[in-house]
Amino acid sequence: MTALYTATLAVLSAAGLLTLLRLVRGPDALNRIVALDVLLTMIIAGTAVGMALREDTTSLPVLVVLALLAFTGSVTAAHLIEKREGLR
Amino acid sequence: MTALSDVITAVLLPAGAVFCLLGSVGLLRFPDIISRLHAASKAQTLGLLLILVGTAVQLPLRYAPVLLLVVLFQLLTAPITGQIVGRTAYRVQAFDRGPMFRDELADRLARDGTPVDERPPREDADR
Amino acid sequence: MTRRESARRVRHHWPMVGWLWLLWVLLWGSVGPVVLVGGLLVAVAVVRSFSLPPILPGAVPRPLAIGRLLIGLLKDLVVSGTTVAWQALRYGERTSTAIVEVPLRVDSDLLITAVAELTTIAPGTLVVEIDRRRQRLYVHALPVRDDTDVDRRREAVQTLERRVARAVGRGRRTGSSGDDTSGAVGDLGYSADPGYSTGPESSDDPDQGGSTP
Repeated sequence: MTALYTATLAVLSAAGLLTLLRLVRGPDALNRIVALDVLLTMIIAGTAVGMALREDTTSLPVLVVLALLAFTGSVTAAHLIEKREGLR
Repeated sequence: MTALSDVITAVLLPAGAVFCLLGSVGLLRFPDIISRLHAASKAQTLGLLLILVGTAVQLPLRYAPVLLLVVLFQLLTAPITGQIVGRTAYRVQAFDRGPMFRDELADRLARDGTPVDERPPREDADR
Repeated sequence: MTRRESARRVRHHWPMVGWLWLLWVLLWGSVGPVVLVGGLLVAVAVVRSFSLPPILPGAVPRPLAIGRLLIGLLKDLVVSGTTVAWQALRYGERTSTAIVEVPLRVDSDLLITAVAELTTIAPGTLVVEIDRRRQRLYVHALPVRDDTDVDRRREAVQTLERRVARAVGRGRRTGSSGDDTSGAVGDLGYSADPGYSTGPESSDDPDQGGSTP
């Protein structure tokens, strides 16, 4: 089982690196918002796998908070961009 | 019982990880932001979902509902994020129209007398 | 007066109270008496102090249809994840997209929200704009290569709409019409909009007249 968890974490890390590349490249704020959102879902996935690996559930509430925070953050940022562009 | 949950995990975790990876590939390779949103809001959600269910069966039974709660939140919020970011991208014209085969929203706006201006995509929207 | 009103609100929104209570117990992760009683108090207090409009008056959820909707949703999610992943791998930068206008028949905030949300989960479609007044969704679809694809996408969203409409029927209106088994499609929040059609050409003419602000 440990090998399975490690392999999953490795693939997730690779995915995280690709997402990071999009975060760096942009080219604008909206693209970065999307990249951050994806990165956060990957952090949630990674934390969950880590929990199963270490058989330790202390970080469980963190997952709930992260899941809701990702949503609020992205939506707020998108609204700010609309506002700055003088729409709405 | 343990054997069954092990099998479930062994199937779901790699599948989820692969979907996450493909989602990031899409995020990187798709040409415009709305297409990238497809990758973010679908492949990613599916990947996370599979991974969370795969770990939930490994944890003690009383923790599993919380993970399913995270799944539920993700299912509810991912489409909303996708839609709001997509709408913003369309409204501020911050995306590449190149891959677009047809745009019936632009047709509609033109008929309403507020056509979208076909400027080249703005690369400087964050400055 | 106000006290009686808020008590009525609690009674009216009992599913919300139940959901908040469940959430509280899940997050605490234990079922001691303090958690149970405290959760119920908090749930009632939240519902009493924050007023929400009744979302769908007279709605009668149909368990079977809702179950079918949920199963369809899971299937959609798997198919859509695969579709998008395949597009990303196979075509990447050379993918082809379109924004499709979809006229809807349902005319209620909740149902339109549900259709928009499910459309975004469904394979290769993402809602970019909602025209609430004209009951139209603008759906970004991927991949779209020709006109048949456009029409296919439009029909797919409308099929989804029918599924949503069937899941939440309207009890009172169905009761008055007498025939309950024919399904909710005809008597739901549907408006008799003559402009409802599936083709882009035919949908243009009727709303040219109605859309002038």
